[in-house]
This record gives sequence, structure tokens and C-alpha cells, in this order.
Amino acid sequence: MRKEIFRMERITYISQEVMKLEDFNLNIYEGEILGFVPVTSYGMRDFLNLLKENLSLYDGYVYYNEVLVNSWKSPLVPTNRITVIQHTSSLVEQLTVADNIFVLRKKFQGEYIRPRSLQEQLEPFLQEIQIKISANAYVSKLSVFERIVVELLKGIISGHKLIVLHEIESLLTSNELNELYGIIRYYAKNGTAFLYICSHLEETITLCDRAALFVNGRVEKVLQAEDMQVENILTVFWDYASLVRGHLKEHKEYKQSKQVVCEMRYEFQNIEAPFRFEVRYAECLVIQCLDNDMYYQLRNTVVRDDAKNEYSIVLNQKKVELHGNSNIGVIQEFASKTMLFPEMTYMDNLCFNLGSRMSGVWLKRNIQNSIRLEFKDEIEEEVFDKSISDLTEKQRYQLVYTKILLQKPKVLFCIQPFQGADMDHRMYIWTLLEKLMKKGISIVILAVNLGDTLSIADRFIRVDDKNQQYEFFSDEFASMPSVVPWQYLYEQYKNES
Amino acid sequence: MMIKKFKDINYISYRITVIWFVILILLVFWSVYSFTAFYNEVVPFVFFAAPVIFLIVLNTIFVGWIRKPFKETEKMTQRFLDGYELTETEVYLTPAMEAEVKKINNILNDPKMFDLNKRQAQYLALQNQINPHFLYNTLESIRSEALIASLDSVAEMTEALAIFFRYTISKVENLVSVEEELENCKTYFGIQKYRFGNRIHLEIEYEEEEWQDICQYRVPKLTLQPILENSIIHGTELKLGTSTLKIQFQCTEKRLIIRVSDDGVGMSEEKLWKLNKKLRMNGAQEAYQNESKGGIALVNVNNRIHLLFGEEYGMHVYSIEGVGTDVELSIPAIISDKEVANRGVF
Repeated sequence: MRKEIFRMERITYISQEVMKLEDFNLNIYEGEILGFVPVTSYGMRDFLNLLKENLSLYDGYVYYNEVLVNSWKSPLVPTNRITVIQHTSSLVEQLTVADNIFVLRKKFQGEYIRPRSLQEQLEPFLQEIQIKISANAYVSKLSVFERIVVELLKGIISGHKLIVLHEIESLLTSNELNELYGIIRYYAKNGTAFLYICSHLEETITLCDRAALFVNGRVEKVLQAEDMQVENILTVFWDYASLVRGHLKEHKEYKQSKQVVCEMRYEFQNIEAPFRFEVRYAECLVIQCLDNDMYYQLRNTVVRDDAKNEYSIVLNQKKVELHGNSNIGVIQEFASKTMLFPEMTYMDNLCFNLGSRMSGVWLKRNIQNSIRLEFKDEIEEEVFDKSISDLTEKQRYQLVYTKILLQKPKVLFCIQPFQGADMDHRMYIWTLLEKLMKKGISIVILAVNLGDTLSIADRFIRVDDKNQQYEFFSDEFASMPSVVPWQYLYEQYKNES
Repeated sequence: MMIKKFKDINYISYRITVIWFVILILLVFWSVYSFTAFYNEVVPFVFFAAPVIFLIVLNTIFVGWIRKPFKETEKMTQRFLDGYELTETEVYLTPAMEAEVKKINNILNDPKMFDLNKRQAQYLALQNQINPHFLYNTLESIRSEALIASLDSVAEMTEALAIFFRYTISKVENLVSVEEELENCKTYFGIQKYRFGNRIHLEIEYEEEEWQDICQYRVPKLTLQPILENSIIHGTELKLGTSTLKIQFQCTEKRLIIRVSDDGVGMSEEKLWKLNKKLRMNGAQEAYQNESKGGIALVNVNNRIHLLFGEEYGMHVYSIEGVGTDVELSIPAIISDKEVANRGVF
């Protein structure tokens, strides 16, 4: 007889007079790893809030450990003993691992904190999952993988029966992800339930026992293990699959003959041989680092101008600087939030990168009017004067990429462009990236996890922790050594070609 | 905006809020004034603490005794307006309102109870009109004739039909065991197989070690067969090629979960939304109003589960167009009819 750890029965949740979840049903058994694929992100944040907190419901019932904890009549318990691990840390950075795990527990009653005792208490937990993390290490010094493991351990030690992992696949490398899967399976075997939220069904196949498809605030289908194949639910991903199929057809022949636009030489810390790559005209190159530390070194060099790593970049046979150069564009992760100035209007944000190209853009109304005219088919007139807070998520993404389109860089560096976006938005970002390529802009995507990035790539370079490089062209994506989204399309494409 | 706010003065809730707001402001002023006096050592600490304590106590009373029950009543009324049943709360605005809610409930529940009994009566009427023995004897005669004529399939079909009618008409109780209900499903599926041939397959899935317990659990009679019928008619019949129907059983410490799945044509997002809404609204009235439009079977089964076991249990439908539909039933894991929450409907 299985024990049900968590059940949401016919939940209808209204927040600020807007229905966020409607007829939402979900149940998780003891020791189960349930995949959760948000096809649309509408209601996702509210779902995560409802997991942790028993907020007032319009309808439905919530059970934790088969005991009613919340109902539409009134919440019976304020919070649920559930750990949610996501891209933002829930640990206190200035405290040690042991302090975070033991001292910050709700029921911790010790008056004197003995670090050695805490260390001894933690040691068996680390040994059973074969992970080496110092109990006295400060959380701020931990790698992303270590931070996730510490949060997971904190949940296990606190007796939480359900652990939610929210889009952690975009934070970890393939090797780290495999190691984490091992830890998850170990604890699942011992009875802990896991809710694994990720963007692609393919990512749940290797780990999860079932997978729920979340669409517009409802679970539309729960796939049993034997049905967890993308081919079985093609209708859900049909539009996206058509985009990828179309892209693969268009790019059937990789144009080696295209001229090299940019060459980069980069030195990772503690690795002697430099990492070199070249980018061709209007191509999309994806660089995946299998080591998270190497990824963050490269990412920080691209994003920040105070990075310590040595590098040189040659653009159209001229040595240039990476920063402050209008011919090189950068789009950071979570672009709709990190790449815009919230206090400025759409138009002001749009013109922000134009200063170096044309003087007087802020004063001359005719320049702004020309921009309005140029984009009148894609952007509604009133949107130009809206403030960022009034824009929809889609309009924000549109703004970020249109800004780049106006800047017209030769090379654009994108840091995990699909991170945090639901399927509709990922499709939109996908089309925007393709539009940039059609305008002759070369794109370099930096990624930890491949996800959607591979589907738009013409070429893909994988860099391992010893700086060994492996290059794949689009007709070789089918033979990738790991499970990636749209693999069945790559296989079809390979067979056709 | 101003006009709207001005109109709100017609509501008692708005007037109470305004009065409370004025009291709150006065108390805050008093607190600030007394704090200044205490700070300047004009008055003792008690003089400053009194309004603050008064403010906290008054606020606690207001939130716990007035605001919370008021919100509950408001939510109940809103749900009623949205089509839900009128439920009772712990605290009412006035004694007259309590009486009003009870009166409305009686009126609303009456037809439902009547309808449930009506269904029961329909079985009985059918039973009386047809005279089951006459029906079974006739079916047996047809079976014998078929066997003599070496028409084995006709004989088997007639036997299945007789068994199906025996279960549907002769047994008039509300709850049956899972085993009996499943047997009836198999019989029904057997009859359908004569029509669809190898186009449809039925799979029954369960954990081997749980099966003994599952078989004993009590479920409302004719729960699974209408769902299976629905899956065949609306799911697999419209699909080209072969289809597989699955009945999955899972049990937890307190629940029995039964899932009837098909890999048929599924339904659109809007249709699914409407169906689940209909199930959520728990409307017997809704069900009978739309009797002519179809989809009555699922709503009827769901209403019976709600009536017998309570609102916490029921049915939910999952579906994706072109992929298939799952109907999930959640009912309490009970082995005796005495454990039923609402035995009054028996």
C-alpha cells in the first residue's frame, strides 16, 4: 500500500481577483519522483507558493501526508514541510553549511553551538550520498551544485517528505546533473518524494516515475512511465516541433564557406591550453561547458568587465575589446528581467544602445518616429510609451531582442537565453534569435545545459573540465551522448540527409 | 472611481470598515500622543502602553471575530453565486441568515435526494415492468437456440447480456465491492468487443500485493461501467485503428484511486475545462439541465460519490486532444458500508 505524501484536490486559487489555478489536481506518493512540465508558466508561481504556504483557496483541498492541511473553508496549517530548491538560494550565505542545516531548523533548541558536534552529525549524511562538502564551509563559497546538495540535505534532515526541484537543469552541467539524479534516486528509495519541475519532457524520462503536464493553471495530463515519450504527446509540442523542423530543413547544409566574423581566445584559470573558437557569419554557435566553474568564468568575462581571465577577441580581423563595443552585443540570462531599465519607457529602453551609433537620439524626435515607423508592423503604437512594469513578458522579450536588432552588432553573446521561460516564450525567443541571424548577426550561446539551445544551433562545441573540445554540426546532433530535447527530430533529419 | 466608492456606502460591510478605520486612526493618534507624553516624562509608561495594548486587543478581536467570519460568509455567498452548493459556516451574520441558508439548502437538496431516489426507483420500475425472470429466461432460451444452431458467439453474447442485466437491474444496493464492479465492466467490455472486434483492448493494472484489499473495497454501484462506456463512445470509437483502455487501481492508507484511461481522440482544452467545471460545481441541477446535451454519466457518478462520501472525494478528468483521456476517481478506502460518511442517502 503506497503512502500519499501530497495531494492537491480540485484546487481553484484566486489571487488579486485573477484565477491563477483552476481545477488543479496533483498527487505524489512516497518515494516517487514526479516530473512536472510547465507548458505555459501561467499560475506556476502561485502553485509554488501553495506548495509551501496554505493560502486561502477558492475551492479544493490540500493534503500533506494524507492529512487535510488546507481547504476552501480555511487553511488548517499555515505552512507545509516542503523544500523548494530553485535558482535563488534559500540558504544564508554568511553562515556555514552546518549552521544552515542544523541551527536554522525550526526545532533547534541548543543554546551552545558546537561546530564539531554539528560536523559529526552531518558527516554520515554526506557519506551515504558520497559527497564531500566541508561542514564549516561558508555557503557563499559553495559551487551551485554544492549549494543544491546542501539545500536538499537540509530538507531531508528537517524531515521534509517532499522536495521540489524547480528548473535546476539549467544551473548544472550534465555530469553534476547525473550525480544529483543519483542522490535523488537514493533518497526516493528511502521514501522521500520529489517533484522535478523542468521545461522539457525529455529531461524527466531518465529520472521520473510519472510526469504531469501543466497548461494554463491546470494539470492537463499525467503521463505514466510507459507513456513518457514526446512522440506520444506530439500535439502539445506541435508548434514548437514545426519551428525546429523548419529550422533543420533550412540549415541542411552548414555553410563552412561562410566567412569567419569573430575569433576568440580565452584562458580558463588553472588550465594551460587556451580555449579558442571562431564564429562564422550569421551562424548560431552553442558553447556548453561541462564544468560549472569554467562556465561561470566564461560567463562573467562576457557579462562583466572586471573578470580576471585573459582573453583576446578578433572581430573582422581587428583586435577589439569585448566590453563597450557596439559590434558585440550581450544578452544575459533571465533577459526580460535583467536587461531592461524598469523606470524607463519601452521607447527609452529601445533607444538605449543607439547612443553610440547616432548622436542626438534622445533629442531628435524624428529618429524616434523613424523607429516607430520601422517597427509598426510588429509593435503596437501605444506599447512604445508604456512603462516596463506594464508590459507583458512577451513584450519584454521583444524589447530586449529588438534593442539588439537596432544596435546591429556583428556578434551577439547570449547567456542561457531560454532559462526561466515557458514553452510559448521559448518559442518566441527562438523566433527572435532566428530573426537576428537572418539579419546577419552571428550568435554565440553560452549554456550549461543544452535544453532548447541545441535546436537553434548550427554548430555546437562541448568543453570538458580539462578544456578538451568536441565539435558537433547540426547533422550530428542525433548522436549526442546525452538525452536532449527534440532528439527524435534530429534523428529524422539525420535519416533524411 | 469616486462614484463607485460612494455607492459602496450602501453596504453594511463598507460602513463597518469605515467605522473601524476611524477608530483605528483615533487609536493611532492616541498612541502617538501618549508616546510623546511618555517620552517627555509627562505621563507614566502605563499611559502610553494602554492605547497600544487596546489597539492590539481590539485588532485581534476584529480580525478573529468579525473579519474572518465575514470573509467566510462572503466567500460562501460568492461560491453560491458561481454555481456551487450553499455550505454552512461556523458564524453567521444574523440568526435570520442562518435560517435562510438552512432553508435554501433544504430546497436545493430536496430535488437531488429525490433524483438519487428517482434513479433507484427507475431501476425498480424497470425491474417491475420487465419482470427480470421473464427477461433472463428469454435470454437463456436464445442462448440455448444459438448453441443448438452452433452459433457460439451469439450464445456467448446472450450470456454476457444476461449477466450484465442481472447486475444492473436485480442488485439494487448503493455500494458494491470493487471485484463485483470490475466483473460488470469486463462483461460490458465483452459485449462491446462483439461490436468493435480487435479494435479495442482492455488492460487492468494493479499492484499484486494490494489486490486482495482492493477487491474488498466498497464503491458506488455502476461507477466504473459508465466511465468505461464513455471512454469507448467518446474516446476510442472516433479513433482510427486500435485502442487500449486501461483500468488502474491504486490504494493509499485512506484512499482508493481508480483511473480509467483511453488512448482515443481526447478532447480540446476548452471542452476539458467545461467538463471539469461541471464536475467541480457539483450541480445535480446542472447535470439534469444538460441531460439532453450528453456527458451526464460522469457528472452523475461524481454526484453520487460526493453524496455518499463527501466533497473531498470525487472525479477529475485529464485529457489532451489527440492523445487520450484519463478519468480519475478518488474515493475512501472502506470495506464496510457502515463507514460511509453519509449513510442517510442509503
